[in-house]
Amino acid sequence: MSKISRRRFVEGTGAGLVATTVPLQGQTAKAAAAVPHTTVKLTVNGTVHRLDVEDRWTLAEVLRDHLGLTGSKIGCDRGECGACTVLLDGKNVYSCSQLAVWADGRTVQTVEGLAQNGKLDPLQEAFIEHDGPQCGFCTSGQLMSAKALLNHNPHPTTDEVRAGMTGNICRCGNYNHYVESVLAAAATLAADSRRKA
Amino acid sequence: MNTLKTVGHPTSRIDAEKRVTGTATYTGDLRLPGMLYARVLRSPHPHARIRRIDLSRAQALPGVKAILTHENCDVIWGSGDMRNKRYLFNDPVRFVGDAVAAVAATDRHTAEEATRLIAVDYEVLPFVLEPEDALKPGAPEIQPGGNLSPTARGAHEPEQYRRGNIDEGLRAADRVFEDQYSSPHINNAQLEPRVAIAQWDGDRLTVHTPTQGISNCHTEIARDLKLAPEKVRIICQFMGGGFGNKNQDHDFELMAAVLAQQAGAPVKIEFTRKEDFLAVHGRWPTKQYYKVGVRNDGTLTAIQLRGYSGMGPYRKGTGGIAGIEIYQCPHVERLVYPTYTNKAVSANLRGPDFPQGVFGIESLMDDVAYALKMDPVEFRLKNMTRKLNDQIPYTSIGLEDCIRRGAEAFEWRKRWHAPGEGSGPVKRGAGMAMGSFSSSMGRSSAVIDLDARGTYHLHVGVTDIGTGAKTTMALIAAEELGVPLEKIDVIWGDTDRCPFSVGESGSRTTTQTGWAVVEAAKDLKRQMAEKGLPQGNQLLTATVNANPAPLTGQARYSFVAHFAEVEVDTETGHVRVTKYVAAHDSGRIVNPLTAESQVKGGATMGIGMALHEELLYDRASGQPLNAGYYGARILTHLDTPEVDVLWIQTEDPYGPFGAKTLGEPTIIPSPASVGNAIHNAIGKRVNDLPITREKILGVLA
Ligand code: FES
Ligand code: FES
Repeated sequence: MSKISRRRFVEGTGAGLVATTVPLQGQTAKAAAAVPHTTVKLTVNGTVHRLDVEDRWTLAEVLRDHLGLTGSKIGCDRGECGACTVLLDGKNVYSCSQLAVWADGRTVQTVEGLAQNGKLDPLQEAFIEHDGPQCGFCTSGQLMSAKALLNHNPHPTTDEVRAGMTGNICRCGNYNHYVESVLAAAATLAADSRRKA
Repeated sequence: MNTLKTVGHPTSRIDAEKRVTGTATYTGDLRLPGMLYARVLRSPHPHARIRRIDLSRAQALPGVKAILTHENCDVIWGSGDMRNKRYLFNDPVRFVGDAVAAVAATDRHTAEEATRLIAVDYEVLPFVLEPEDALKPGAPEIQPGGNLSPTARGAHEPEQYRRGNIDEGLRAADRVFEDQYSSPHINNAQLEPRVAIAQWDGDRLTVHTPTQGISNCHTEIARDLKLAPEKVRIICQFMGGGFGNKNQDHDFELMAAVLAQQAGAPVKIEFTRKEDFLAVHGRWPTKQYYKVGVRNDGTLTAIQLRGYSGMGPYRKGTGGIAGIEIYQCPHVERLVYPTYTNKAVSANLRGPDFPQGVFGIESLMDDVAYALKMDPVEFRLKNMTRKLNDQIPYTSIGLEDCIRRGAEAFEWRKRWHAPGEGSGPVKRGAGMAMGSFSSSMGRSSAVIDLDARGTYHLHVGVTDIGTGAKTTMALIAAEELGVPLEKIDVIWGDTDRCPFSVGESGSRTTTQTGWAVVEAAKDLKRQMAEKGLPQGNQLLTATVNANPAPLTGQARYSFVAHFAEVEVDTETGHVRVTKYVAAHDSGRIVNPLTAESQVKGGATMGIGMALHEELLYDRASGQPLNAGYYGARILTHLDTPEVDVLWIQTEDPYGPFGAKTLGEPTIIPSPASVGNAIHNAIGKRVNDLPITREKILGVLA
């Protein structure tokens, strides 16, 4: 134990804040300024963007800070909460845990892309009616995970909804109302498609 | 209870559409032109003196615009400690996470990098983590004057409450029960991390910040930065939760303001999730020692509590341990020692003094009931409070109904059995617990402008931390004015546009600001009758600073009883909550839809507190080990049972339409009811929160 410096211990246990007592090796002011960057093509909510991104930027950062799509939230920036959930090629992912360069050539859907032609998605309608959001900070993520779930399982059971959304934490603890909302939206969608058929 | 037109009907939030379309703008979503980003460097040591800070490499990094440390910034954060001087940057540093420096730079990556380039030479000091150790002679002194945090009068003695004579009460008992309980430091873990933007316009400061109270944040930022109040503006349009850790002013707001001043540009400061867990505050950990005297017929004769609360190194909260007041009993003594330690700072988290204290006393009372061969429900009905401290009558009390009707809805008789009965490996059990919470009236304000088009512009200083306060205020205004909800336009969350509000803490908004709304609406109606309706560009304005006289000879409280059923796998120690009923007397419920969300949320948070949450420390190094959502094992969709909500709407003569407090009572009896259910299932008690698998397997072994 005594051989491990306190700094290394802090980092090693994952408890470290941004905290060091010695400068990082090989880090010079110049090197820091010349950050590697790459041009990527992203299709976001149907619009194609060509962007020059720093390689260290996350997808969440690009969406929020560079495309102005602030509906996706950053609750932890480390893949633990789900507030940043978006659909990447239709699959729900944590956008804080994807580098923007990895999304090159791919399709992203965010909460801003849910409503179509000014009409709210049935999930959004149900979230309003069943009081899904309390503080609302987890809501965009809950919506996107719910969207991914209903896309591949249009008739989920209560337990399937819970499982499908379990990567989305709600500290306001409104899980019951979120699950109710998703089941209600699934019922609406089913009724709609019966009407159309 | 009479039915009202608008109040009392389930109503979707007036801002719900914004919340589901990503268009609700939170502080972190804002960007100002030329804005810099700030990051904080923190102590890696639980206790250390700073010998030297070398900023040269950080200052040389292109893009770095300003750096603050204790050497160039002596701002005192008044709300950070109610007893000692707590600076924004302290020397010595007193816990892992204490702020050492803050850097503003052109982007967040540069700011972050700059913090890594700051070299700090620390002289490491001895540290202490547990309150009882901190009070021993020879323990490292964390604050001048000793580790027992002084009372408001400056006396180094425990907080005390007494009635009757405890020795007499214990002598009068047929049996005396004694036990000890503990609860850990846990984090508020609201989903929105800390972020503020400070902008100076000449000598006027605007701070965008996710606060639970724009008014107190405003007064306190002005105080701490020595500015005239009119030179400060606080704006919060949407905020992502706080549960007690975003009330008053905070260090990050002050840091942003000072950095912005030095850099001559707006500054957005962001804390990481880890910083939010370690460097802000969480619920105070406690150790509780009880003695209870009881007669053979189940009548209580004495309750004694000696408790220790770990405050971290700064006194940011009271450290109180509440719960024994839910019992009537002639002889009571409570001594609580709020103590400095080198752990993370402790202060308010939803029902600050309560769920951990109620866990202690309700665990013990459950054991007393069993020992006397009484049904725990009957025992509580016999001994529950009838007057506050057996002396002061309540304005209304629905506790008995909460217990009786809650038990009925829960099917208590069917689910409850002798402790440990039933064959394994998966055992079921039922438990309950009760609680109370002050719902007193107090000062708040509201302004209503009526325009010629018939729209009522309601200005209230709320921020709506998730409770639905904006909607609640609008419903109250619509009801009193006798107009449809759509006629009410709510203006909130901006000290330039809104009058004083009490702040969304102590669950006071509905009762206090709601009362001001009622008074303002009444005033406006009087004016309309006198002056007629406004024409053209005229406005008819009602301004009310309501300051209801304190109740004398009466106490106003909310009451609650929760019932939980669990399944315990005796082979793995895994617990699943299978049924949950929450019965609440919060007077008239203004909006049953959002109120239900509150109860579900509070109960869920309480279940997490019962089973999962604890900030662990390595004893040898003083390092926190599991900061973050995974580490805290915050409850997820899969862990959460259906919570059934039962309203016991007592008629209360005070408050807006008789509404009482709700937000905080929702968590109070939750950990205790789960703990009691586990005991009922396995016939063994775990006295230390959280009740983890290892502890369950431990008591079963
Ligand atoms: S912000 Fe991405 S998972 Fe929390
Ligand atoms: S609504 Fe607040 S975290 Fe989910």
